[in-house]
Amino acid sequence: MYEPQRLHPVAIISFFIHNLYNLVQAALPLFLVFLAGGNHKWLLAVLPFLLIIFIAYGVLYWLRYVFYVHEQELRLEFGVLVRKKRYIPFERIQTVQISAGVLQRMFGLVKVEVETAGGGTKAEFVLAALSREKAEELRRILQTGQKVLNHTDEENTAIEYTLSTRALLLLATTSNGIGVVISAMLVFFSQLDDIFTNLHIWNKMIDYAESLAVGKVSLIISAVILLLLVAWLLSLLGTIIKYGNFHLTREGQSIKISHGLLEKQQLTIPIKRIQAVKVVEGLLRQPFGMVSIQVVSISNIGKKGEGNVLFPLLPKDQLMRFLKETVPEFAMPLQVQGLPTRSRPRYLWINIIPALLIAIGCTIFLPWGYLSFLLLLPAGWLGICQYRDAGWKMEENKLLLRSRVIGRISTILPRRRIQSLDISRNFFQERRGLTTLGVALASGTLGTNIMLRGMDEEASSLILHWFKLGIMRHKTKIY
Amino acid sequence: MREDPKQCIDIKAVHYWRWTAIIKSIFLLLIPGAYYFTVHLWQWPFWIAVVLVVLTLADAVFSIFFKPDIIWKTWRYEVSEQEIDLLHGVFIKTRTLIPMVRVQHVDTEQGPLLRHFGLSTVSISTAAGNHEIPALADEVAAVLRDRISELARVVDEDV
Repeated sequence: MYEPQRLHPVAIISFFIHNLYNLVQAALPLFLVFLAGGNHKWLLAVLPFLLIIFIAYGVLYWLRYVFYVHEQELRLEFGVLVRKKRYIPFERIQTVQISAGVLQRMFGLVKVEVETAGGGTKAEFVLAALSREKAEELRRILQTGQKVLNHTDEENTAIEYTLSTRALLLLATTSNGIGVVISAMLVFFSQLDDIFTNLHIWNKMIDYAESLAVGKVSLIISAVILLLLVAWLLSLLGTIIKYGNFHLTREGQSIKISHGLLEKQQLTIPIKRIQAVKVVEGLLRQPFGMVSIQVVSISNIGKKGEGNVLFPLLPKDQLMRFLKETVPEFAMPLQVQGLPTRSRPRYLWINIIPALLIAIGCTIFLPWGYLSFLLLLPAGWLGICQYRDAGWKMEENKLLLRSRVIGRISTILPRRRIQSLDISRNFFQERRGLTTLGVALASGTLGTNIMLRGMDEEASSLILHWFKLGIMRHKTKIY
Repeated sequence: MREDPKQCIDIKAVHYWRWTAIIKSIFLLLIPGAYYFTVHLWQWPFWIAVVLVVLTLADAVFSIFFKPDIIWKTWRYEVSEQEIDLLHGVFIKTRTLIPMVRVQHVDTEQGPLLRHFGLSTVSISTAAGNHEIPALADEVAAVLRDRISELARVVDEDV
């Protein structure tokens, strides 16, 4: 590790595919124009040359791509035409992720991605192909380098959590990926229509559906049901592939997560980077007594849009034990003190007014539109639930804020992670002696704000006082 | 509730805000102006132009003659050894508490108009974003910046 070294030669294939993909992406329109031009014989002559050039470039790139560890820094030197050197101090490393794609699996290798706090969705440091032993060795060096304390940790008894099959199935059936899949399908079909203009895919589908169903309404309904069913199955499959084989282990001061049926994703979260823990009870999952656990971390974990999932679905009665064993700083019972009754109207109006506007609009513009006034019922019910579920609780060193948008979210915030705290009151709140509490946490470049609306004035000033006390304690500890 | 912060921002800020409002209003008046052309070009309804003019004028009157005073009256700040305490807002009053140990860096900023009035804005960054104390007299801002930066220079291991 301390000597400059190259990746496994399989990386050449990876570089080659990557370059080819980039070229195809960039030159596809041009290529299509040429193809449409008629005579293609010259292509046969040019293609082998292009291939050879690309392979040669891949080999050169591999030859020039070296990494090593030097003086508490991870160093990477690469580039054929433009030579680059990238040095990353160990302290700056946020996550080390080991994964294995199809290519890596064929040769029994892994891919290592090292991420720092700086924004951007791509990892700063990608080692495309490495033997598993080397990857593990590198990770060990990076982690021991990050904090010397890691070694002295004695509670190295294997703490391990796996996602049960029942939980995985529940997760898949209640995942809200359906919307995404439907829109993706619609885009896909409309693209098909554009590309194969002769096929008229929509017309064909409609013809087919018409032969099945008589009358327009039943046609539309059956089409929608079919679409929903297919979308639901696809999202089910997607979730199973993504979260299948989910393992979480705690090793010293970091948490290791691995998941994925086809592509195995592995990532490491240093516990001290975690700013807050969120326990999310989705609307559909709450009846099953299952919760999902997410973290607010300084940099994003995993890929963009995946959210910061620590554990996708866990029975609620195991939650306390889970928190105590994996992230002890955040373990606290989730009972809260509710909000005063005078903040209930706010929660009702905020849901009823939009529903009312929609209903009025529908009544004016649609036949049977007044039926949409039925929307007021679920809106009011949601408001009542939001009011009932909102609340807070203070412990010596942590604060719990609970609120509901659709799902119920409990956020556990250690006092020493709070960056700033604000208490605001709008015109209506001022008259009722209510406030909105906001807690700012470090996360990404903009930070995250956790809010609780409609808190009693007394309660929020109590929290302000508690926060101030923490500051003074902090100061005295330092001097 | 704890006592509110005491310090006001510089009274010259009122003039500064008044001038920014005047400049902003001139630009906003371009919108009805542009719309007026479309009335001629494509015969778009004329009453919309009237509504737009009335709206921009109303906004101009409010933001030039009233808003600067209101903002000035509602802005308060206080910097103690341990924390920065801010209070501002008219319809939504917000009280913000930033512990000194959480301050990452502090800047003073000054645009051309602010410079004309001898004012600067102090901007305080934490790992979770920025907070600003607007329009302080140059000397006050400089002293405040140096003081915060001095006080914030405490080793903090958490972040």
